[in-house]
Amino acid sequence: MSNDTALAAQEPKTLKTDTLFVNLGPQHPSTHGVLRVGLTIDGEMITKAVPDIGYLHRGTQKLAEVRGYHHCVVLTDRWDYVSAMPNNLVFCLAAEKLMGLKVPPRADALRVVMCELNRLASHLLFFGTYGIDIGAFTPFLYAFREREMILDLFEMVCGARLTYNYIRLGGVMVDVTPEWLAKTKEFLDYFKPRLDEYDTLLSFNPIFMARTQEVGLISAEKAVNWGLSGPNLRGSGVNYDVRKNDPYSGYEHYDFDVPLGKTGSCWDRYYCRVQEMRQSVRILEQALAMLPHGEVSATGVAKVPKPPSGESYAHVEGSRGDLGIFLVSDGQASPYRMHVKAPSFLNLAILQEILVGNKVSDVIAILGSVDIVLGEVDR
Amino acid sequence: MTGYFAKVFDHTWAIMKGMWITLKYMLRPSVTVHYPTEKLVPFEKFRGALLFDAETCISCNLCVKACPSTCIQLENATNPQTGKKIAKVDWYTIDYGKCNFCRLCEEACPTKPKSVWHSLDYEVLFFSRDEMVRCWKAGTPFTGKYWDRKEKAFKDPLGQISIQDVPARR
Repeated sequence: MSNDTALAAQEPKTLKTDTLFVNLGPQHPSTHGVLRVGLTIDGEMITKAVPDIGYLHRGTQKLAEVRGYHHCVVLTDRWDYVSAMPNNLVFCLAAEKLMGLKVPPRADALRVVMCELNRLASHLLFFGTYGIDIGAFTPFLYAFREREMILDLFEMVCGARLTYNYIRLGGVMVDVTPEWLAKTKEFLDYFKPRLDEYDTLLSFNPIFMARTQEVGLISAEKAVNWGLSGPNLRGSGVNYDVRKNDPYSGYEHYDFDVPLGKTGSCWDRYYCRVQEMRQSVRILEQALAMLPHGEVSATGVAKVPKPPSGESYAHVEGSRGDLGIFLVSDGQASPYRMHVKAPSFLNLAILQEILVGNKVSDVIAILGSVDIVLGEVDR
Repeated sequence: MTGYFAKVFDHTWAIMKGMWITLKYMLRPSVTVHYPTEKLVPFEKFRGALLFDAETCISCNLCVKACPSTCIQLENATNPQTGKKIAKVDWYTIDYGKCNFCRLCEEACPTKPKSVWHSLDYEVLFFSRDEMVRCWKAGTPFTGKYWDRKEKAFKDPLGQISIQDVPARR
């Protein structure tokens, strides 16, 4: 008599079912990149979830140790490739702190404009793909139509659509043209009414709400304990936004609200992002209206910068959360150490707790609502 | 029972509202472009595949230093009589497999017009690994040649399509 049969004989009254191990990803279309989640399921219910990362590891943190500071800005583009402008910005802020560079006001304003445009592009991608995850295909096409316009704006100003390398040490790559400003204003006028359409198409669709409002609940306490940031944290009702709490690049001059969720459900996190798009439009309008004149790049940026020994930390509110860089210099032409505090990596960690007890079909809804970019998780 | 019908009505009404939005856009002109029969021309500043001109290059090595992924290599030409280095390039290679399309090399280039610059070509493709490494010498076209290791010969790249010929962006 084998061991299993002996066990079964001891519990004759309850039907014993085996748990099953299922791989979700890394090729699953809804994992938004190469993420593998090892799910242990009991019937439809998940009893254990282990996110497995590392499929997109390119070692940029180590690579930065043998590259110059100007070269590192190119590396930063490759972390969160959906919103590369905040990546550029955070590295430049950290390096400028080390070098003691003063950024001209016009460059600061342009950085804000680009970061907010990039936030729009990133949240539009989230909005579209989250709809697909849940089963609504139409919003995706509408979101990508607008996203394409933003990418066109980026292409017009810096020549790339994803890996911009636009924000440079001491300023930005190049000044914007009056045509670009006119086109951006035109886009904003076009975009504002579209947000109401998105609400009709997806946000307040009862089927979508029924799918997302009850699952993936994260309490405020849990969100803070797991170190969430960005819309995932604010969806749980915690009012923390680096743009408000530790302003950089002149964010203190702009008037905007921080949208908050209530219960921390998937829908709250989703709607936080949609509301953030509204706030981004507000910031953009203000920034474009009061764009200062003058230089766009600081003078005295060395071709091969060798900042004095020391360390610096800078953080920005990226599209996915609190993106930070810790930079150590030993006086050489390349950083001694660069560490990235990637919001996606921290947001991903909570999956192993909140997936447990949900059904397999809800995994996709929860995974999508956390909005990770695997390029940033693995770096 | 009334709750059930209210729910059915709510969902149907939401679908109809959504359909109304899509219906409005159905009657407007299409925003998509039927690639590859129609092609968009990128904006003037677009960072496409790199081109190189061996005639204007002064072999100053600035692009080599500016490149974040060390994909550029070059060798100075020498004067055959005196054996001294001259401000001309003997050979110049770009490894497209490593290129980041970041424009740091173009910005570093001191010559006018630029010796290395980004074209508008976004349709560069490679049929072999050899083709990724483009080489230039005096008299080579801007798109360069590649060294076929099997046949031991320089060849014109097959995957280079010049996008500048297609009509301008709408």
